[in-house]
This record gives sequence, structure tokens and C-alpha cells, in this order.
Amino acid sequence: MKVIFGLGLVLSLLVILPSIQYVLAAGDEPGEYLDRRVEIWGLFYRLMIVAFTVGTVVSGLIVWLVLRFRESNPKAKPTEYEADGKW
Amino acid sequence: MRQMVSGNMSGHHSTWPEWVYVGVVIALLCYVGAEAWNIERIVEHVPADAEIIKVVGQQWLWTFEHEDGTKEIGELHLEKGKAYKFEVTSKDVVHSFNIHDFTVLMDAVPGRVNTVWFSPTETGEFPIQCREYCGLIHYNMRGTLYVENGA
Amino acid sequence: MVLELQKPRPIWQIMFSTHHTDVGLLYLITSLAFMFMGGALALILRLELFAPGTQVIADSMTYNRIFTVHGTTLIFLFILPSASAFGNYLVPIMVRFKDMAYPKLNAVAFWMIPPAGALIWLGFADFTWYAYPTYSTISAPGPAADMWIFGLKILGVSSLLGAINFVVTILKCKHPDLPLSKLPLLAWSYLASSLIILVAIPTFAAALLMLLTDRLGASGFFNPGMGGDPIAYQHLFWFTFHPEVYVLVIPAIGFMYEIFPRFSRKPIFSHSSGVAAFVLLTIVGFASWAHHMYATGMSFTEKTVFMVGTLAAVPASAMHTFNFLATMWGGRIKFATPIMWAVGGIALFFSAGAGGVVNSAMPLDFITHDSYWVVGHFHLFVMGTILFGTVGFIYYMFPYVTGRMYNEMWGKIHFILSFVGTVMVFFTQHILGLFGMPRRIYDYPPIPEWVQMNIIITVGAFIIGISMAIFLGNLIYSSAKGKPANMDDPFGLGGKYYFPYQAKNPHH
Repeated sequence: MKVIFGLGLVLSLLVILPSIQYVLAAGDEPGEYLDRRVEIWGLFYRLMIVAFTVGTVVSGLIVWLVLRFRESNPKAKPTEYEADGKW
Repeated sequence: MRQMVSGNMSGHHSTWPEWVYVGVVIALLCYVGAEAWNIERIVEHVPADAEIIKVVGQQWLWTFEHEDGTKEIGELHLEKGKAYKFEVTSKDVVHSFNIHDFTVLMDAVPGRVNTVWFSPTETGEFPIQCREYCGLIHYNMRGTLYVENGA
Repeated sequence: MVLELQKPRPIWQIMFSTHHTDVGLLYLITSLAFMFMGGALALILRLELFAPGTQVIADSMTYNRIFTVHGTTLIFLFILPSASAFGNYLVPIMVRFKDMAYPKLNAVAFWMIPPAGALIWLGFADFTWYAYPTYSTISAPGPAADMWIFGLKILGVSSLLGAINFVVTILKCKHPDLPLSKLPLLAWSYLASSLIILVAIPTFAAALLMLLTDRLGASGFFNPGMGGDPIAYQHLFWFTFHPEVYVLVIPAIGFMYEIFPRFSRKPIFSHSSGVAAFVLLTIVGFASWAHHMYATGMSFTEKTVFMVGTLAAVPASAMHTFNFLATMWGGRIKFATPIMWAVGGIALFFSAGAGGVVNSAMPLDFITHDSYWVVGHFHLFVMGTILFGTVGFIYYMFPYVTGRMYNEMWGKIHFILSFVGTVMVFFTQHILGLFGMPRRIYDYPPIPEWVQMNIIITVGAFIIGISMAIFLGNLIYSSAKGKPANMDDPFGLGGKYYFPYQAKNPHH
């Protein structure tokens, strides 16, 4: 349930809001010009969400791998290649 | 004596996780590309009634010329809410015209005129800086943008 | 083994040798010397930037010269020669041949580096390592500028000669029983980077010559007054140097392809995926150069083409990352110094790449162009990935080259301090760039956020500096007095190697 809600939030931030904005795009009169700062920084924040989400997954995976497969881990067992010593 | 153990070049494994991973990476990259393309398209659309401001960079100061001929050195006075199109060039080496607070940035290249537009949405004083190495005083090739309420 | 300080060889024997292990050692010592020199320059820069106002550098021209020589030294006199060092040492062994294809040419290629380095350091040019016209043609003071141009010309020739040697050795001198598909990935990395060099460097050689004739007034290639175009130089420069950054990183990835399987006690997850990724990167790396030029006034279509070219190179790097992580999975990993550096390197490689994907988005260039974001980004590659991979490999090769073990505790301390320092400096620089601080500036206005971040960055830089001093001490002391290594298995991992590292040096 939480996963679906979280996914929906991310999806709306990343996809739906920008699509709505595409349709209701800025006009050409004084007062209607787009604020380039808002557009550009908005893109930056969306890309940061993607980068940090992927980053969390990748770094989390690296930390887990390092802890789980270190030779001092109680669950550590020799790899299948150590038997004949060729790897 | 050289004893080469050529044995197993890789472990035994299935390949589908790697293909899924590459697929996810490519999907994310398509998203990045599409978003960037869209925002650039929107941002590059210059309003027809934008007032043209000529910007000239030289070692080591900025000069400006308004449509009505008014010239300014080191300072630029603009009105809030109007659209302005900068026509940027250089007299000597490559500089880069930058008003960071409004994400305005465009290289000033001798022999060429580059354009960038914006509409200041708040009043105040904002720093102008150079964003391409141009020698001795590159670090201090600065100016100030003054945005005032229109008459 | 080639450097056994308890049984010293006459220095002239090493210097005049053409044996690949000796040439490799010469490259290694030279590149490390320049690494420390270039790094010291960075510390001087960081001292100056500690606070607004003048600290230790009296004037901006000196500051400009220092950052120019810092960048030029670390790229051309450290990273490239250190890759050549290990390539020379190991490629003949990996392809099962007695030496490089052209041993005398090999020595000549090395000996071009000290004079080129002398030209660069005695000149101390100020126009940044890019040397963009029209500043470099009409405004940069000589003879520094001209000495830099000649120095780089010589380095370009050296690189090309080395690349030819690697390509011929790998493709033509490899043992008849060894198919290309079974070549170790480290050897593939030298093949890939050498092929890129052969295609990319001649463009820069042309650009350098054009800069020189423009400076002499004999031509106007980049002079608008004579019908030329300064932007043309940028195209030529980046056509070479975007692929060149792959030349810089590919050997470091190759080093990691040795370290990860060895210390995980299992083979690399997918050899063929590694080969495919190297080949893909070699080709696609040529399609993205003008993402460095988004701010020059290119059209929307041009920018889009180069954004797509940039993004197209990402899956190849992602494949390497997957390969390393999948190799660790299911292994029994001994976390000695070399693999700590490799893991840290891959973590930083990922963050550098993520920043790179963000950079490829054209509109974001309006925020980040020529700001400290860019400085932070590329340093995560050259320091975080390349230096970490190279240093890890130096530790790994140390017993094979010297016959002795380095001090493991100090090696780990070196890693921890370097990792902390690298994150402190280069992650913070990303944020500093978002706040608008331009790069290549001697001084800055006292904006509170800029001041705070510059302090953090300077402290981080000195942490790295301390760690490098520890490294130097470890290298020197352990070479002379380190515990003799068990040459069959210096790291106590078990197993037989793919190929023996103990090359037969005829002088030993």
C-alpha cells in the first residue's frame, strides 16, 4: 500500500505535473512570460529526485554487499572456485 | 616458465538480471533526455515583444545598450515584468555573460552574436559575473543588475 | 620484480633499458612524482580560496598559472603516464609475449615525457588546460603559452607512439593459442583506450599547430578579424578531449577488473559484458563532445544531438558497475587495501556518472556552466574513480614490483582519509556551483554561503593532502624495509592467478 502511494507520488512529481504544464504553457504577453528560473530549477529538482533515488539503491547495495560478503561475516562460506583454486 | 591458467573466464550465472538493469538505465536516460528537450524548447521560445539589450563583454567589464540608445557600463537597469532579449558579443576574448539569480548565461564570443532572453520577476539588485576564463581580472569582471518597478 | 632496493641495480641500467618492466617502472616513478607536484599545487590554490581576499598568492596571474599547471600536470603527466606504466608492465605478460612489440620505441615514448614536463613547468602558462582562443592567441603571455603548446605537442606524440605499441602488441603479438575473446579485461582496457587515442589525438595535434601559427600572426584560424572562428577550436579540442576522458578512465576500470575478482575469490561476473562495454564506450564516446559547448550559442538541434550522444555512453559505464557488484555478490571478500580503494572508486564513479547524466540536460547548463559544479563533477571522476583505481592498483602491484609488502594499516588509513576528504571537497563543490560560484577565480565576494563552503572544501583538501603524505611515506619505507612478500600469494587469498606477475627481467 505504502509502496503504491510512494510510487504514485514520485510518478506525479516526475511525469504528470510537467505534462500538465506543457499543455498550459506560458503565453506571449507581459505578465504571462515564463520565469526561466522556475522551469530550469524545476527540471534540476526532478532530475535530482531520479539521481538520489538511484543513488540510494546503488550505494545501499554496495554497503550491503560489502558487509554480507566480507570474509569475517559469520555467514561467509568459501566460493565454489576456492575448491580447485582457479578464479 | 609461463603457466597460464585459462580456465573459467566467468562464473556460471544467468544473464536476465543484467538485461533488466540495462533496460531500467535506458528508460531513465530516455526520461532525462525527454524532460531536458522539453524544458529547453520552452525556455528558448523568445516572446515577440522582448526588448533587445546589446551586451558587450571585454577585458574586464560589461557594457550595455538599450533599444533607445541608452548606454550603461557595469550596471543594467531593467523593469520588472518586461521581457528582454540579450544580444551578447565580445570585443576581444571569449567571456560569458551570467546573471546567476535569473539563470541567464550565454558566452560572449568575438565575431559572433549569441542571444538569450528572460523576464525579471522580482525587483532588487542582482550580481552579473563572467563565466568563462578571460585573463587577469576574470575573477572580478562583475556588474550589477537593477530591476525596478515599471513606470 | 624489478625494484628490489636491497639489491640495487645501477640507475643507468634502468634508465637505458628497453625491457617493458623497466620502462613501466620509469613511467610509474615519473607519474607519481608529477602526481605529488600537481597535488601540491591544488593545496596552494585551496589555501588561497580559504577566505575572500588575498591569503597566500599575491596576484591573480600567479593564481591563474597555478590552476593551469595543476590541471595540465595531473591529466597529462600523472594519469596518462601511470596508465602507461601498468600497461607496459602487464600487457606483454597478459598476451604471453616477451616484451612490447617495439621495445626501443617504447623507451623513446617514455623519454619524451620529462622534457615535455619541463617545458610545462618552466613555462607555467595561465590560459587553463583548455587554452581557448582568442585568449590564448591574442592575450596569453608568452613564452609560457608557447612552451605549453610545444610541451603538449611532445606529449601527444608520446601518447600516439605508446598507443601504437599497445595495439600492435595486443593484436599482433599475442600468443597464437590465446583468442581475443579470452584476453583479460585489463588488456582489453588498454586496447580500447589506445584505439581512442589513435583516432582522437591527431585532431588536437592540428588544433595545437593552429594555435601556434595564430599566436605567431601567420594565420587567423581562430581570429574573427581574419575570418576565423574561436568556436572552431572548441570543437577540435573537445572532439579530442571528450574521448580522452574515456582514455583516462578506461584503464582505471581495467585495474578494477583485476582487483574485484581476485579479492572476491571468484571470477568476474561476465567477461563478455566487460568486453562489450569497453567496445561500446570506445565508439559511442566520440558522439558527445559538444556537451562542453552548450553555452557557446549552439542551436537547439545541435544541443539535442549532443545530449543524446552523451546519454548513449551511459549504459556502457553502467554495465561495468553491474559487473563489479555482481562479482562481489556471492564472493568471500578479503578487504585488504586494494579492494577498499576499488569499492570506494566504484561508489564515487557512480556519483560522478549521476552528475554527468544531470549535466547532459541542456537547460541545466544555464545554472552550472563553468561553475564549481563542473569542478566537483569532473574531480569525482579523475580523483574519485581514476586516482582511487590507480592507487588501489599500485598497492596491489607493490609486492610484485618490489618483492615487499606495503604497510597494510597505513594503506587503510590512507584510503579512509582520502575518501572522507574527496567527499568533503567534491560533493561540496557541486553545491557551491549551484550557488553560482564561477570556476577559475582568484578571489570571490564575501557571500556567506560561498565562504562557508570554501572553508569546508579547503579543510577536505588538506585531509587528502595528509593522506597522500602517508602514501608517499608508505611507498618509500616499504620499498626499502617492508616485509618480504610471499610471491606466490602476497595477499593470502589462495588460488592460482590467471597469469604470473613475475616478469622475467633480463637484468635481475
